[in-house]
Amino acid sequence: MAAPWDDDFDAPIAGPSFIDRVRNAPDDDDGGDFAMHDGDDFETARGRVGGGLSVMGQDVAEETPFQQLIRHWMNERHAPDILPGQEMLLGRILDHVRKQSNDVELLRADPDSSEEEHFRIMLVQTEVERVKFIVRSYIRTRLHKIEKYARYISSAPDVHERLSKAELEHARRYSRLVEYHFKQSVLQSLPEQQQSLDEEVAFMPPMVAKPDKKRPVVARALVDCPPMRLPDGTSTEMKKGQISMTPYYVVEHLLLRGEVELV
Amino acid sequence: MALPPSLRTSITPPELELVASEQLVEIVPLVSMERTAFISGAYGPLRPPTKCKVPLWMASNLKLKKKCHIVPPVWLNTDFLQERLTEETTSPSFSEMPFRFAELAKTLLDVAPDDLQNPERIRSLLKDIREARQAKSREGLAKLDHNELLLNNLCAMEINEIRPFFVRGMDVLTKLTREPGQDAMDQT
Repeated sequence: MAAPWDDDFDAPIAGPSFIDRVRNAPDDDDGGDFAMHDGDDFETARGRVGGGLSVMGQDVAEETPFQQLIRHWMNERHAPDILPGQEMLLGRILDHVRKQSNDVELLRADPDSSEEEHFRIMLVQTEVERVKFIVRSYIRTRLHKIEKYARYISSAPDVHERLSKAELEHARRYSRLVEYHFKQSVLQSLPEQQQSLDEEVAFMPPMVAKPDKKRPVVARALVDCPPMRLPDGTSTEMKKGQISMTPYYVVEHLLLRGEVELV
Repeated sequence: MALPPSLRTSITPPELELVASEQLVEIVPLVSMERTAFISGAYGPLRPPTKCKVPLWMASNLKLKKKCHIVPPVWLNTDFLQERLTEETTSPSFSEMPFRFAELAKTLLDVAPDDLQNPERIRSLLKDIREARQAKSREGLAKLDHNELLLNNLCAMEINEIRPFFVRGMDVLTKLTREPGQDAMDQT
């Protein structure tokens, strides 16, 4: 039997399959967290990815989807703020993971498969596990930030577009739960003027935790970057390959445009 | 299900190794295998004794099963490292090394010492280089301010090592110079 992954490396991955799976299996651990927006079909996604990449120069344009995911995972791990979710990229990679796993199942069920086949199965499975680890870590990093800043996120509309539907829903429910718990356990027994959860007292940290955009991060330039403004008012430019440690808000716009990566 | 607390502040060395394992290395296969499509790309066909490029994770997997020899990268030999060590100890700046050399070297020394020339010497040279560079990065702490610190030529593992302390240091300096920072943030 010919291995199903012999020559179909470039075969298109069926577009709607991931969407279907998400719709049909809302409780699926792997799929539930990143439901896609309706009407976002695969082609537009690919167009969008392509369009975004052209700005980033040769090196980045040659990144495979998995390398892109690794870059986004690293960025998410290092950035103090929550970054725009990469739902389309995740969708493509999860589709690919599922396809590889299906092929493995198919070959395993075949009693005639040779020793070489078993060997390839083992390698393919090893890779699938590596990919799954990174996907999971990426989602969990976002989940951590969502829970940490749940009350800020649910009150700040400009953050909403960086989250998927499921993530936003989770942020809202989580912050409602926390508020309910605070009220039930402590606040309801306090005098009314001390019950609020969003007071801003001068010289005190605000009660709603916000991402600390001043936290230093280490950024590496993927291309020659436009000038950026440093905290002391001077401006500087990063050349491709330069590594610089600076407060997050200084490089935030470069990071969102994919011109730097956090390392 | 959120990220465990131990992983929240920084990336860990095993995770850096995981990332570095995506890099391609050359192997001399001892078994043959058809070209196979993986998620990160298509690799093969393996036809002994023709050299072939595969990701490091696959190379070490094959190596552990004694199904290939790994061709060490050009920088992983005693001559090159000796030269870098001299450069490192004579010049005040960091010499240029591959960004993930520490992870790569460790994996190769662990799984394929028999494919390297004089692995013991390589190990000790790498250690000397690491110490020389570590001393420089500690000196770099004096240059820390609330603005920016250039870390050119530092590799992933070294950045990760100095990160917690440097981030804290810069954080404190930012707090001490709050006003100008506030201005810049309003304007961006």
